[in-house]
Amino acid sequence: MARILIRFSEEQVSEPIASQIIIEYKVPMAILSAHINSKGGEILAEVPDAILEKVVNAFRQRGVSVSVPKLIEVDSDKCFSCGSCIALCPVEAISLAKDSTVEFDKEKCVGSTCSVCVDACPARAIKSIKQNGADYSAKDKVKKS
Amino acid sequence: MSNQAKTRTVEEINQKIRKGDAQVLTAEEMKKLVESSGVEVAFKEVDVVTTGTFGAMCSSGAVVNLGHSDPPIKIEKAWMNDVEVCHPGAAVDLFIGATNMSEKLPFEYGGGHVIQDLVAGNEVELRATAYGTDCYPRTSVKTTLTKDDLNQFYLLNFRNCYQRYNCAVNSSDEIIYTYMSKLLPRFRNATFSGAGELNPLMNDPDYETMGMGTRIFLGGAQGYIIGEGTQHSPKNLNGTLMVKGDAKKMSPEFLQGAAFTGYGTSLYVGLGVPIPILNEGLAKKTAIQDSEILTDIVDYSVPRRDRPKFGQVSYKELKSGSITVNGKKIRVSSLSSLKMAKKVSQTLKSWIDEGTFFLTSPVERLPTKTIFKPMRQTEEIPFVVSVMHPAVTCTEDEEIQAIAKRIVTKSVNHIVVVDEAGKLLGIVTSWDITRAMAEGKKALADIETHNVFTAKPDEPLEIASKRMAQHNISALPVIDIEKKVLGIVTSEDVSKLLGR
Repeated sequence: MARILIRFSEEQVSEPIASQIIIEYKVPMAILSAHINSKGGEILAEVPDAILEKVVNAFRQRGVSVSVPKLIEVDSDKCFSCGSCIALCPVEAISLAKDSTVEFDKEKCVGSTCSVCVDACPARAIKSIKQNGADYSAKDKVKKS
Repeated sequence: MSNQAKTRTVEEINQKIRKGDAQVLTAEEMKKLVESSGVEVAFKEVDVVTTGTFGAMCSSGAVVNLGHSDPPIKIEKAWMNDVEVCHPGAAVDLFIGATNMSEKLPFEYGGGHVIQDLVAGNEVELRATAYGTDCYPRTSVKTTLTKDDLNQFYLLNFRNCYQRYNCAVNSSDEIIYTYMSKLLPRFRNATFSGAGELNPLMNDPDYETMGMGTRIFLGGAQGYIIGEGTQHSPKNLNGTLMVKGDAKKMSPEFLQGAAFTGYGTSLYVGLGVPIPILNEGLAKKTAIQDSEILTDIVDYSVPRRDRPKFGQVSYKELKSGSITVNGKKIRVSSLSSLKMAKKVSQTLKSWIDEGTFFLTSPVERLPTKTIFKPMRQTEEIPFVVSVMHPAVTCTEDEEIQAIAKRIVTKSVNHIVVVDEAGKLLGIVTSWDITRAMAEGKKALADIETHNVFTAKPDEPLEIASKRMAQHNISALPVIDIEKKVLGIVTSEDVSKLLGR
């Protein structure tokens, strides 16, 4: 499964774009979080790897901004638990366990769209990795209207 | 009570270690014992307290002797894995400095990593050049080496184990990258370093048991204190150690190369000192707790030797994950590893328990009166405060006409827009006024720049000058930490003083 972040503008929220795409492409899309009101909003969803590209393109063709957050990977062999990263993390995904081991919560981590911790790691144990080798976030970003 | 019970000697402790009945506690355990049973009991029961720290220690390095090539070479310049290594002595003696950076991968790989690679048994590429002499005719050599190929490979660190260290914050509007790691703007995080109550020097602050010849845990093997470290400053609890040890016996777990973005490379060193509990005073001293160890909160965004401070915090607060600065709670995290510091003290304890590590008395104790002086400078450099002058200001409700008049009468190019408290809101230039005239704009809001680049009074002028050049602007309002406008510095001021 791959995670995608779908952003709707004020004009787009009134249209059932997500539903249309789910029906048209028969996507079993798991919605992880959704914050939408009349001013716009965003959905964080999981889609199967096999149809990721199709789904991303379908949203973009309809003018909806989609980013594929890359993931953060921690090499626990390299990490020596200094903790430089802890206070930097905006979502408190990194913490110190009772035995002072630095623990990384992949579920809380918002992925490489943030990456604030990556260049602060003196052991270079944190990597921002591309999801499924695909980099959607850099190119053809749809401008917000 | 007999006198015997009031003191014990290092030799008596070593006898016990030999017999396997020395009582050894880690510093962490000692604090608990003193808290629960008191100093007297702790002194009676405990022979040795083991301390530990594991942090980035930049003034570290290793001496290596390569052996002679055939024909022999007197190395002039040398590189190991593309990191330039220093050639301070005779033909094939080199010093690998932890902060020297790879020429191919600067800021990512450096001397600290070379040391770690060698310690781990990895092959390292050596390149060297020379001018050639009658006795050393060879002018270049290229080979690969492991630690087994070296005659000597000694860790020789001239400043390790700072007794305590600053807590770093950043008051500026931009991210800064320092040896205290990444500091987010406007106090959004803080960093600190050091093991606090586990630090070796903190547990013996009068250096009763430490000095030249003290056997210690260094990088996973036995090493020695060889004297005070550079910048040793005992009077304000900033003591340091100079240490040496056989790196061939060390472990890459306790010697790790590190990379600090924007700063450079370093070496994390695991270092632990066993403290013989020779008297009750030492039992009491080794009971010191994080809550009693204070350190300064220092603003690293000010590029000066004496940086502004925002009060003090204890290591207890630092280790809690958040501190309060200027009434605001900010998150703080460590650069040194508490987990590894504990592991150092535990490993040292196990060595003594197993009877493979014996204590030594120092030949000469660490000095307690050394003063750490600043550099003697024969040339002063100018700071913003020495050239800034009062800014001509306006408020946001003024007409463009009035501002234009002020530009003429005061004969300036920049008007700083302030609020009623004198705080910076924006800037208007004579060019903006000209543009307003050309485009028929009447409101100040249409031409005012809000995102203003600024300077601080105690910044070196050179840095402010660079900022102007970088953003292609000709003046910077000078503001204090509350954004109050103190004056203005222009590129004209800079050229008058710096001649450019």
